[in-house]
Amino acid sequence: MKYLPAFALLLSTVPAFAQDVLIPMDERQTDHLKAYGAAFWVIQGGEPVDWLLNYRGGSFLLPGGSRTEQELRIRGVSFESLGGADAARIIAEVEREGANTAVVRLEKAPRIAVYAPDQTLPWDDAVLLALTYAEVPYEMVYDEEILEGKLADFDWLHLHHEDFTGQFGKFIQYRSMPWYVEQQRQAEEAARRFGFRKVSELKLAVAHTIREYVRGGGFLFAMCSGADTFDIALAAEHTDIVPAEFDGDPVDPDALNRLDFGQTTVFENFTPVLNPAEYEHSDIDTGPPPPQLRNPALDYFTLFEFSARWDPVPTMLTQNHVATIKGFVGQTTAFRKSLIKPTAVLLAEAPGRDEIRYLHTSYGEGTVTFYAGHDPEDYQHFVGDPPTDLALHKSSPGYRLILNNILFPAAKKKQQKT
Amino acid sequence: MSLFAGPSFAQIADSSAVGRFQLAEGYIRAAQFDRALRLLEDLHAEYPDTPAFYDRLKSTYESVKRYDEAIALVERRMKAAGSSLEMQVEKARLLYLKGDEAAAFRLWDEALAAAPKDRQAYRTVFESLYAVRLLDRAIEVLEKARDLPETGTSVLGELAYLYNMTGRHDQAMQAYLDLLEENGRQVAFVRNRISRFTEQPEVVQTSIAVVEKAVRQTPLNRAYREILGWLYTEGRDYRKALDTWRALDRIEKESGYGLYQFARYVADQGAYDVALEAFEEVRLRHADAPVAAEALLGIGRLHEQWAEASGERIAIDDATVEAAPHYRKALETYQLFISRYPNSDQYPEVLRRVGALQRDVFFNLDAAEMALRQVMNSPVSSPATDQAEFDVGRLAILRGDLEEAKLVFHRILERLRTGELAEAARYEIARLHFYAGEFEAARTLAEAINENTSTDVANDAIELRVVLIENPGPDSLNTPLRRYARAHLLNRQNRPREAMSTLDSLLTEAPAHPLADDARFLRAEALRMSGRYEEAATAFGEVTAMFPESFLADRSLFYAAQVFEQDLRDMEKAIAAYTRLLTEYPGSLYESPSRARIRALRGDGVS
Repeated sequence: MKYLPAFALLLSTVPAFAQDVLIPMDERQTDHLKAYGAAFWVIQGGEPVDWLLNYRGGSFLLPGGSRTEQELRIRGVSFESLGGADAARIIAEVEREGANTAVVRLEKAPRIAVYAPDQTLPWDDAVLLALTYAEVPYEMVYDEEILEGKLADFDWLHLHHEDFTGQFGKFIQYRSMPWYVEQQRQAEEAARRFGFRKVSELKLAVAHTIREYVRGGGFLFAMCSGADTFDIALAAEHTDIVPAEFDGDPVDPDALNRLDFGQTTVFENFTPVLNPAEYEHSDIDTGPPPPQLRNPALDYFTLFEFSARWDPVPTMLTQNHVATIKGFVGQTTAFRKSLIKPTAVLLAEAPGRDEIRYLHTSYGEGTVTFYAGHDPEDYQHFVGDPPTDLALHKSSPGYRLILNNILFPAAKKKQQKT
Repeated sequence: MSLFAGPSFAQIADSSAVGRFQLAEGYIRAAQFDRALRLLEDLHAEYPDTPAFYDRLKSTYESVKRYDEAIALVERRMKAAGSSLEMQVEKARLLYLKGDEAAAFRLWDEALAAAPKDRQAYRTVFESLYAVRLLDRAIEVLEKARDLPETGTSVLGELAYLYNMTGRHDQAMQAYLDLLEENGRQVAFVRNRISRFTEQPEVVQTSIAVVEKAVRQTPLNRAYREILGWLYTEGRDYRKALDTWRALDRIEKESGYGLYQFARYVADQGAYDVALEAFEEVRLRHADAPVAAEALLGIGRLHEQWAEASGERIAIDDATVEAAPHYRKALETYQLFISRYPNSDQYPEVLRRVGALQRDVFFNLDAAEMALRQVMNSPVSSPATDQAEFDVGRLAILRGDLEEAKLVFHRILERLRTGELAEAARYEIARLHFYAGEFEAARTLAEAINENTSTDVANDAIELRVVLIENPGPDSLNTPLRRYARAHLLNRQNRPREAMSTLDSLLTEAPAHPLADDARFLRAEALRMSGRYEEAATAFGEVTAMFPESFLADRSLFYAAQVFEQDLRDMEKAIAAYTRLLTEYPGSLYESPSRARIRALRGDGVS
């Protein structure tokens, strides 16, 4: 019996390529998170990407080609091949007068740093998980690198569950656990190395450096306790809010009066929690919902809609294929609305409550984005829980909000009309 | 606990003073420190000898960082009651908190200089320094205390911990060794303490260097060697860990149990060569101990694990059989176990493993049957008995004794009725009907299995049912389907050449029959089974090329890629085939594994 020369058939590849590729970001996308990494990969390769704001969930339009299409297939990112006319039609549709859509050209891949210790801590880091899963390259930096001026090498600084107040996350009930002991040891050693008497002083210096980095044009994205403790530490510059259980000396009795909210980026008029046993840093965090409402089915928040033409940055940050996102709890679950400076742009709120989940502000030449909660796909992440497997949450709207942040520094700056 | 239970209040006679003190406590809780201080200052002035008032006043000054007043209070107390070491140390601590470090250090030093042989003085100063996290200074004090005569080991645990906290891991380890020298039963304590730091490789390496030296100097110290063995294991240096456990076993004249536990642990870690050596050592040195049987069984299991991990397979092409050295050793080991330990609880299960290896790996059906029947006929019932009977049924299929196989499976089904093994037996009966060309009976049974979708065989049953439904005709005898069923049986019986011949006949006689894609796919599998990998890859490729719409098209492409990757080691062609699957069969069940394989082969480091 004769058989066809199937070797050749087996290895032959696909037909001719279309000119452009659309990565839809609506419900038809099979892996929204990898799509960000794919767009980043294209920009890194020197090709521009058009981010079609509010068009099919914030889709990406890329130059086609066999290499790009093959890479998208390998990464599992859905795409549509377009002829030149199709691409032009889509651009025309997005730029049509009266439509709340816009094209933003992404041209330069930002250099991303993630502020995290080398030490493995017993909780997951949503920022690291998102960047790693999406295959967005990043470098890890921590206190030493920041104080040595390495931030100048990066456009973006991402951070997650941090404690800039120097209270070791207020995990005092875990103080005899190996990870806590090691965390404290490393922090105290770093403090000594840089000439500080206390960890809180080291962390304040780090917060200062980050703030100046933002003032000079850097972008900061922070989640969970990394957001509020950043401002708390800055406000407490001239006082001591750290109980003796963490640093050996008591808090300043006049601490509350000596807070300086002129130092902060987003929050003001807040009150730090001075009880070492209370797992809370301040009243910025509204805390988890009451037990009877602490139910993933009932907890959600909604994204605000912005004008894609006039407010491209908030629009970029809120691109999603859904408008309502399931809530999630963290050491900092939601920001109290009344304690947010009026200059901040509110991006997402829990309806009917005084709670903001996601916000953004300009600071100097740079920007700050804070996102409350710990892990968008693990409603209540406890110490010691295994990290979330994002391969099971490829279209996570909550994680999309993290990844929206990596791309907007790549946007070509346009002259704004306002 | 009541505030008034302690001796501090023994001198309080005035109940109004107690009331004022309670009020002051209330003010402190309400953070009204000024009011509290006014009350406490008055109370202290009235009752200067009452320790409770003095202590509370001092701590309240400290709470509000009024260190000067706290220090003055201590000084007044020193003047009135005479200076004590405790007060001097307390003053030093307050001076440090105030920021006057030089004065604080001077006072701490003076306190020690005044009582250079008083162990308690060192402890008091150490606690004061530790409270303000002056770890290096605290270490210096503990070191002096350690060097005092008669201090013993009382400070070594704290000292070692502080060394670790400050990154002085060699000194920490030495302190722990000193502790162990005095009390060898503290191994668990030391392990627990060090384990807080062993996530850092440098801690493990530094500690190992220190313990190695100690073992060289004191080779008979069991505690040192235990710690060393544990550190080697933590650092994944299993070879050295084995040497350590081996030495311990010899020195201590142990029963081999420690070495056996070590062997099991490293086998689970995949360090097969080290585990094997450890098991062998146990057997050789403790041949008469109960652990010897466990060790022998451990060796058998280890070889099976090893064979699976290294991808040992038997391929038949005429009479060619690959070596499969670890499977062979596993078999030999199990046989030795059977002869040596016929009364062991593990005997039936080991015998069943022998049967399974003989049947599935070595195709020695007689030997397999002998072993399995021995399990079945064992007077003592065990969980292995039913499984052995099932295995005998499958063995009968391999032998071609389909009637015997049917009887066995029916017997199991009638006895068990429900459960995984019963459903597996039902599925085997369905397949037997299929092989015999009794397609209606096969279909009825497959449908019965489909009703219970929770079982492992449910998917296989669905596949069988689809083949039966979709491929009848063209004649009333369903000749192509009969040939296909026959080829299936031959493949199962490890007779791939005959299977190929049957399939060739089928394809020649009915090239356009709906079974053509299934037949070509089965033929490709037979080629792969024969070790004819190039031809197998081509044959899988043909299925995709000739039947692009077939439900087997994507699976064939995936299998072709696997042949390239695993059998031919041609990674470029493997990637090309996986990529083609992604391109041409988006949404395929094989899409995700193909993507993962491409990424692994490209070395992307992601899945």
